[in-house]
Amino acid sequence: MTSDGPGGDGRPGGDGRPGAEDGPGRAARAEDAPGGVGRAETSGDAAAGQMDATMRTVLLCVTVVLQLGLSLGPLFTEEYRSRPLATGAFAALACVPAVCSWWVLRQRPLPAAVTAGGTAVVLAAAFCATAAVDPGRRFQAPDWSFGLVQWHLLLLLLDRIRLLVAVLAAHLTASMGTFLVAGPPDRAAIGAACTVAFGAVSVQAAVIVISRLLRRRSREALAVADEHDRLELRVLTARQWEQHQRTLFAGQLGTTLPLLAGLADGALDPRDEDTRRRCALAATQLRRLFAENDETPDPLVHEMTACVDVAERRGVNVSFAVSGAPVTVPAQVRRRLTGPVATALSAARGRARVSVLRTGEAVRIAVVTDTDTDTDSGPRPEAVTTADGRVEVVSDHYGDFLRLEALWRR
Amino acid sequence: MAQMTPVSTVIVDDHPAVRAGVAQWLSAGTPPIRVAASGNDVSVAWSGEGATADVVILDLHLGGPVPATGELRRLTEAGRRVVVYSMRADDATALQCLELGALSYLTKAEGADHLLEATVTAADGRAYTPPSLAGALAGDRSASRPVLSARETEVLIEWFQSESKVFVGRRLGISPHTVNSHLEHIRIKYAMSGRQAATKAALLARAIQDGLVRLDDL
Repeated sequence: MTSDGPGGDGRPGGDGRPGAEDGPGRAARAEDAPGGVGRAETSGDAAAGQMDATMRTVLLCVTVVLQLGLSLGPLFTEEYRSRPLATGAFAALACVPAVCSWWVLRQRPLPAAVTAGGTAVVLAAAFCATAAVDPGRRFQAPDWSFGLVQWHLLLLLLDRIRLLVAVLAAHLTASMGTFLVAGPPDRAAIGAACTVAFGAVSVQAAVIVISRLLRRRSREALAVADEHDRLELRVLTARQWEQHQRTLFAGQLGTTLPLLAGLADGALDPRDEDTRRRCALAATQLRRLFAENDETPDPLVHEMTACVDVAERRGVNVSFAVSGAPVTVPAQVRRRLTGPVATALSAARGRARVSVLRTGEAVRIAVVTDTDTDTDSGPRPEAVTTADGRVEVVSDHYGDFLRLEALWRR
Repeated sequence: MAQMTPVSTVIVDDHPAVRAGVAQWLSAGTPPIRVAASGNDVSVAWSGEGATADVVILDLHLGGPVPATGELRRLTEAGRRVVVYSMRADDATALQCLELGALSYLTKAEGADHLLEATVTAADGRAYTPPSLAGALAGDRSASRPVLSARETEVLIEWFQSESKVFVGRRLGISPHTVNSHLEHIRIKYAMSGRQAATKAALLARAIQDGLVRLDDL
């Protein structure tokens, strides 16, 4: 008999590569794990943050251009009830984009303190600028602050939409309220005021909608990209796993193919006892390998049943017993348990007792069989510590009887 | 233990072939065991010669979907010595039958030798533990299981794994007689734990008589 011991049976997964036995499903599950969801959310938030930063940069430029390009001229050319008040308000408003530019140009979100302080400054400046305008000229050229402060508020509160809408609405309401309270305006003035207000509100609303839309689209685009990456990873993992399985299978066939070739070309005699024993071992190993890929509630017993079946087909009278409640045995451990047992069983001549015992502390598979193998051949004792616990193989001869036990301590 | 009169049994099984086969095994035993009665219903153990038979060999599935555990309980409560002989090989059923007072539980995969020994041992008021039952006891994780010594656990496992007491003895460096003593001790521990039955009390009384356990230990 060839000395195909526990280490020489081409055990798949025996190379110790973690996860090799779990197949592509493992990778798929890893992607679906809470951690994967967390990553998706984080990347989505990052995309939204990046979009907000870009929008804030655009808004900063728009605010500066509007304040210097459209509001500076009327400040010097128009009449005011209090020019210092109007100038002070303008200067205060100019400070807001200046301060914000420190964070905006670095693509960072504005600190809460800056947002709160800036909003207070903008509203106070708007109140002062409005107070400096003659009531009869409201919503006209001197009232440059009405359309301007909304851009400042957009800059400050872009990522706080509800607060932004509330502040904009409050500003509009206050502006219209003070306009109406200041004295009964004529229809033409009301019409002009409404036109200005509608124009301003429409532009702000459009900006808000566009920013939200861009934000959502960027999130979706990134989610699609993430999903694409995950699928690519799954495909790659599945391919690698399949390749690994092929390699393992080829390793399993490593002892079988020369045997088949030898039988085919007549180099091996099927009547020879050693050839028959090698064939028995190869058949047992292959059946165990096939059984490994079956979906069963108790894979360990299923794989052992396959080994027993091969022995019975050879005419061995096998007594097979299973006791103890089923426990989950990792595939790598199962191979280490069943491999030596299959080897021992393939050496059985006429009778064998095969038993599987699951206790609270250990899983034991034992074979007691009559055999004519000598003590130097057959399964070798070994003790291996795996990631899932220690596996020990103990083998003894008692006259013509071989006793082998593979034990996994959980 | 030598008997002045042959051990008598009543066989309860719903398959005539099984009844005939068991009867043949028993009558061919050394010494031969007399089959007082047999039938497909437990009533055969309560009437006629079956009512006085030393041992009841009971199939747990008598044609119906429900195991005859109620019938087993009634027999053990009446002090009858029962050997359960069943198709079922699951541990839970075996342990339940012991709990109900059966002196032995054998699967039908276990052959004539174990059935003969179980019957003779039961007639003597003792418990017999075949390998499959040893496996069930070794794998027992119930809260009510008795505490076994390391050696007793070893004996159970080795007996389950090898089916040979001579082999167990060689492995553990003890005689087959000592293997039997350990198995008896284990069964006594099981009899002392859990639900009480008349046959368990008889088993303990027999153990005290044999010096295996003291009255103070109960």
